[in-house]
Amino acid sequence: MSISKVDSPPKLKPLEVFEYVLGNGLRVAINPHGASPVVSLAVYYDVGSRNEKPGRTGFAHLFEHMMFQGSENVAKAEHFQFIMKAGGTMNGTTSSERTNYYETLPANQLPLALWLEADRMRSLAVNQENLDNQREAVKEEKRLRYDNQPYGQVFDLITSMVFKNFANAHSTIGSMDDLDAATVDDLKKFFRLYYSPSNAVLCISGAVRPDECIELVKKYFDDIPKGEDPPVLDVSEPDGVAETHRDYVDSLAPLPAFLRGWKIPDRTTRVHRAVMLGGRILFDGDSSRLYQKLVKGDESVVQLFGFTDERRGPSAIYMGAIPKPGFTTAEISQIIDSEILDLSKNGPAETEMQKLRNQILNDSVRVRQSSLTRAQQIAEGWLYDENPRSFESEMEELLSIDADEIKEAVTSYLRNAESSLLNIIPGAVAAGEVSDVQ
Amino acid sequence: MSNSAIAASAPASLAPLPFSIPEIEEGRLSNGLRVVLMRNDSLPLVNIRLISHYGEVNDAPFRNGVIGAMAALLTEGAGALTSREIAERIENIGASLGVSSSADSLGISASCLSFHFEAVLRVFKDIVLNPTFPENELELFKVNTLEGLKYQRSQPPFLADERFSMEIYGTHPYSKVTAVPDIIASLSREELIEAHSALGVSNCTLLLVGDFEVEKLFSLLEETLGGLPQGRECSSEFPTPPQRNKRKLIVVDRKGSAQSNIVMGNAAIPRIHPDFFPALVMNQILGAGASSRLFMNLREEKGYTYGAYSKFGMRRFAGDFEASAEVRTEVTGPAVEEFLLEMNRIRQDEVSEVELRDARNYMTGVFPLRLETQEGLTNALRQQIVFGLHERYLHDYRDLVSDVTASDVLRVAQEWIHPDAFTVVVVGDAGDVIGQLSGVAEDMEVYDVEGNRVS
Repeated sequence: MSISKVDSPPKLKPLEVFEYVLGNGLRVAINPHGASPVVSLAVYYDVGSRNEKPGRTGFAHLFEHMMFQGSENVAKAEHFQFIMKAGGTMNGTTSSERTNYYETLPANQLPLALWLEADRMRSLAVNQENLDNQREAVKEEKRLRYDNQPYGQVFDLITSMVFKNFANAHSTIGSMDDLDAATVDDLKKFFRLYYSPSNAVLCISGAVRPDECIELVKKYFDDIPKGEDPPVLDVSEPDGVAETHRDYVDSLAPLPAFLRGWKIPDRTTRVHRAVMLGGRILFDGDSSRLYQKLVKGDESVVQLFGFTDERRGPSAIYMGAIPKPGFTTAEISQIIDSEILDLSKNGPAETEMQKLRNQILNDSVRVRQSSLTRAQQIAEGWLYDENPRSFESEMEELLSIDADEIKEAVTSYLRNAESSLLNIIPGAVAAGEVSDVQ
Repeated sequence: MSNSAIAASAPASLAPLPFSIPEIEEGRLSNGLRVVLMRNDSLPLVNIRLISHYGEVNDAPFRNGVIGAMAALLTEGAGALTSREIAERIENIGASLGVSSSADSLGISASCLSFHFEAVLRVFKDIVLNPTFPENELELFKVNTLEGLKYQRSQPPFLADERFSMEIYGTHPYSKVTAVPDIIASLSREELIEAHSALGVSNCTLLLVGDFEVEKLFSLLEETLGGLPQGRECSSEFPTPPQRNKRKLIVVDRKGSAQSNIVMGNAAIPRIHPDFFPALVMNQILGAGASSRLFMNLREEKGYTYGAYSKFGMRRFAGDFEASAEVRTEVTGPAVEEFLLEMNRIRQDEVSEVELRDARNYMTGVFPLRLETQEGLTNALRQQIVFGLHERYLHDYRDLVSDVTASDVLRVAQEWIHPDAFTVVVVGDAGDVIGQLSGVAEDMEVYDVEGNRVS
């Protein structure tokens, strides 16, 4: 019995998405959705750390900071003040795959948000003062989030051990030396190459009228010049991981830990999706196999982690743990291997397949709840897959993957493939000091 | 007209759209359990929450941590289900389930597709009515919690909060922000069962937000949670936080710190208070966000910190005002001075019309943004239930913010911010910071990171 009108799993109506391409190449998606008097904008630029060159790491992220430093008609730090005074919220993020900027506001503030995004796309203030100031802010962020945190650097390290191609292997935060070497000219060139309208997708979701909305978009964005085409990017990977084993001393880590990484195909392939689902069976949630085995059954780990790094090119899957005192990283790692082996031999149980299907359905309903998550999904789909509705077709494809495909993908990409192992050794133990760990 | 000419200054907004909040409905089950409903069928989802006033303030003297432990273990065995079976039942249908406890309340919540609601409700019922508190789960909880308590002593924000709360709240239970290792180690299954027996109709409200038909829903609720017993009345009598009339400095000596964690403030107002809206607007101008005075001064102008903020911690029975920042060690003294300067400024002069307007616009603008999702609506209604807010609270919020004047702001600043009687807590390397803080207060106490007074 259901408590709603329908007595079957929900059939989701396709989202209404209007697509436009302006003369300068800017891709614009409009998703009218009037449930709340709210609008969200997401601007996705096709540039992430994967576009960076050796000696210039951290540029994509440094540039994200620069985007809040003012433009022709918006003074330094005014961007977020404009948004706040209008009753909105905003932010920006950088990943290996893209840089995004977004804001959510009362729906009648749409012109303000478009004007702010257009002004910085057209005329960002790239100057020495802003560069010096933001370089320091980024270095402070690097110290706070990475260098000064226990286990803060391990995900960057394992990424560099899995991937061979520099584009994939280096970190998004970058190195202090490269940040120090950044010049105004470098950044001006970066802006010309990657922040042109033809290298971006703009999505607007919320209580808007599509005709009125596209007219406003044209008013603010139409006259931004097209710009240069960015250089062709090669993210292809040779077979195998770059490095199979490394010991790393972390002076802040309270306990030994380890992290393992496997290279897998890109996110649009069925095998990628099958390994990703296999990963969920292994480590996702309190009912997952590894959680029940390690956290509950053996009570042998303080923390278990696992996730799939879904990239537009070659991707990766990671698993690791912080063992409890009395258990070694080697024995926990072996248990992970035996769980992989079991999944590879016997495949997922029917209840696990049912769980995956229910979770996929549930996720796709939730992502539609807020204007911001809709705008982000649509923009990402257009940028990554040339399809603003790819999150809908992705759900269909995920639902179509069967137990045998998961079993085979786990066999090929986890069981029989090379992996990288990063062993994290606490500083005090490494220095030969007496540890209070039994 | 060229586009560039249009773009030279910020454009005007469009006509505002109406904002309608779904109506709240109320009912009771036959055992008397109050049920609050908000229907929202934009997506086939349901959020359910049992909200109890049986929060951690109800812990028996010298047994703080018991109610929190009881709450944490509700999902680790219930009825015929083991911890693992509960996780499987919930995750197999893509649902989520959680229990949380705070000083003022205990909450059990679940969220799922409407289609799966009945299956979730069966588990929910067992967790609420028939938790089993298995011995092995209690032992695992103890081991993990004791590790967590050790770890939190390495975290400066915890150390600052711990000392500040003790000082502000004195013998009021809000003074205790953490469990005590000895109490956790001595927890017994019987004690948890006894604590759980307090939970019941007399202190609970059931909240549902989402896609459902009311009649079907009530018959299911009756069949499951109709069995909830009366429980025990919760106390609402607590000691008054101490009055202070001079400033006091407390240093927590964390050797080798690269930063100082500064928290300062005084006892202020509980959540239900006639000054709530003026206090909120005043704090928006002073220190709530990235365009407030504290942030603009200590971060943007002085560069002392990544962020400086202030807030009213308003709870059911009492509240406080506090301002805080993590600053570079060498500017600890100057940062404290800037904080005090901003406190005096907001108490001396009326805020400008522009500041007032910007603050009100921000607060009224973001309000609907937070109610866009079912989770947002559920959180807002939870507040309404926990604090006993007026039933039109969500409808009236924006008007009440807009009614606040500059003289209201000045009055509440003078009434509820008392820099001369502040408790100032600094967590940092005592050797580096004490010299910088000599002018802050006559009275100074120094503690180590374990909480022992050293001078």
